Amino acid sequence: MTRFHVCSLSELPSGEAKRVESDPAVAVFNVEGEIFALADQCTHGDASMADGYVEDDCTVECPLHAARFCLRTGKALSQPAYIDLATFPVAVEDGEIYVTVETAA
Amino acid sequence: MTEDDIRALVDTRNGTVKPAIYTDPALYELELERVFARTWLFLAHESQIPKAGDFFNTYMGEDPVLVVRQKDGSIAAMMNQCRHRGMKVCHADSGNTRAFTCPYHGWAYGVDGGLQMVPLEKEAYRGKLDKSKWGLVKVPRLETYKGLVFGNWDEGAPSLVDYLGDMAWYLDGFLDRREGGTEVVGGIHKWVIECNWKFAAEQFCSDQYHAPYTHASAIQVLAPTPQNKTEGKPLGDGQTQRPAWANGLGGVQFGGKGHGSAFFFTENADANVWVGGEVSEYFRDTYAEAEARLGKVRALRLAGHNTMFPTLSWLNGTQTLRVWHPRGPNEIEAWVFCIADKAAPPEVKEALKRSHARAFGPAGFLEQDDSENWVEVQKVLRGHKARQTDFCMQMGLGFEERRDDGIPGVTNGTFAETAARGFYQHWVELMSGKSWPEIEAAAAQWEQEVVDA
Repeated sequence: MTRFHVCSLSELPSGEAKRVESDPAVAVFNVEGEIFALADQCTHGDASMADGYVEDDCTVECPLHAARFCLRTGKALSQPAYIDLATFPVAVEDGEIYVTVETAA
Repeated sequence: MTEDDIRALVDTRNGTVKPAIYTDPALYELELERVFARTWLFLAHESQIPKAGDFFNTYMGEDPVLVVRQKDGSIAAMMNQCRHRGMKVCHADSGNTRAFTCPYHGWAYGVDGGLQMVPLEKEAYRGKLDKSKWGLVKVPRLETYKGLVFGNWDEGAPSLVDYLGDMAWYLDGFLDRREGGTEVVGGIHKWVIECNWKFAAEQFCSDQYHAPYTHASAIQVLAPTPQNKTEGKPLGDGQTQRPAWANGLGGVQFGGKGHGSAFFFTENADANVWVGGEVSEYFRDTYAEAEARLGKVRALRLAGHNTMFPTLSWLNGTQTLRVWHPRGPNEIEAWVFCIADKAAPPEVKEALKRSHARAFGPAGFLEQDDSENWVEVQKVLRGHKARQTDFCMQMGLGFEERRDDGIPGVTNGTFAETAARGFYQHWVELMSGKSWPEIEAAAAQWEQEVVDA
């Protein structure tokens, strides 16, 4: 278990995402003040979900092949993906965002 | 087709042209290779793609090309053609993206054109695909001139400024009137005209002669009068009563390196009679700044026509800039942009957009006059005998000169075909497959010959 400092809340505006260089890499999203952390690599192929398009319905669309995932649950919502994204616990303390990742052994 | 065959089509010394140049499919195929894959072609205006990932989808000849703002602020251009089976990787006219993904099998490219991801890479390609070798084909030469982005497939072509030659002086009069340069206002109008690309390009290059007659009805209707008020200030409000060619002050036509331009001298900064009152007032209000930047001749020049060889044309004052994308020998797509000074107030830009669409949009009163002529000529050229009739291109032949008042290049009176003869002579040199040094030498020789004649 490793706890990573992501960035200040003020550095991650709503609708944006940041990639954390953990192992596995994690994408941290802000949707109207709610913070979510999911595996950064799309389960369909080699694409960074932090580069994806954050939609108003709390989903993210992969920038390469338009697979959609639920930001709350990681659930794969559309083809070509059928495997869910892993989710990670996040915390905001004193305006700083942290994510906890169980590092691959 | 031999060089002799091509040279037999155009005789600029005697001012004749064979109409086969507008109809022959074999010549058209050769044009794609020797004209459109060798010359500087307009791609986009910088103002269309301000942010990283912004793109504009266009063509170089018939080749689809994406113009894309990069993450470091530079601009790149690449073929819109997947390296796997050739599908377009982007079908939007313009927009912002993080990747270009082919809709066929899903090969995905970065905004720099590099191949980023291939579906089922491990299973299907067994780790044997070298993705670094299969990026989108880059346009090797890219240059920007005062906001206009140009591309060229020919690594041996001269620099953009050398290619423009004296034409840069005329282009500056369009792009450099005010501090801050220009931008595209409104959307891009696109439509099909069933004519050869050279009819449109040559007319904007060299043909002031058609205006008094082809556009007679428009000029009649648009005479400055309070009755034709459409919005705010009436059309032609505060402008010279007579069309510029009737004011007795004369004018100039320029031809060089295949490019051409013409205008009339005027006493006031008048955009002729074809713009709304807000627009004409704007040109008069900003005249002092334009004169300080450009001098009197170009600051006053708010009418007249221009073509940068081969297919970029524009008109001062009505601010239309267009590309004639070739689509076979008998068809073009007109892509039409309205260009405004960035520093112009929003209400002037709005009025300019309306003026531009009214005169030179797809249903514009002047646009329709022009395209009707080109389409009808193209129809006549379906005829076997019609294609063998020599066309007369002798207007002002032998009256070319170099001026001593600072207006550069080979010139003639406004009503002349000097620029057309230069346009077709340049076409011949390119179509003959000459090297660029040979083409440049031929252009210099043409200038010397016509001035000496």
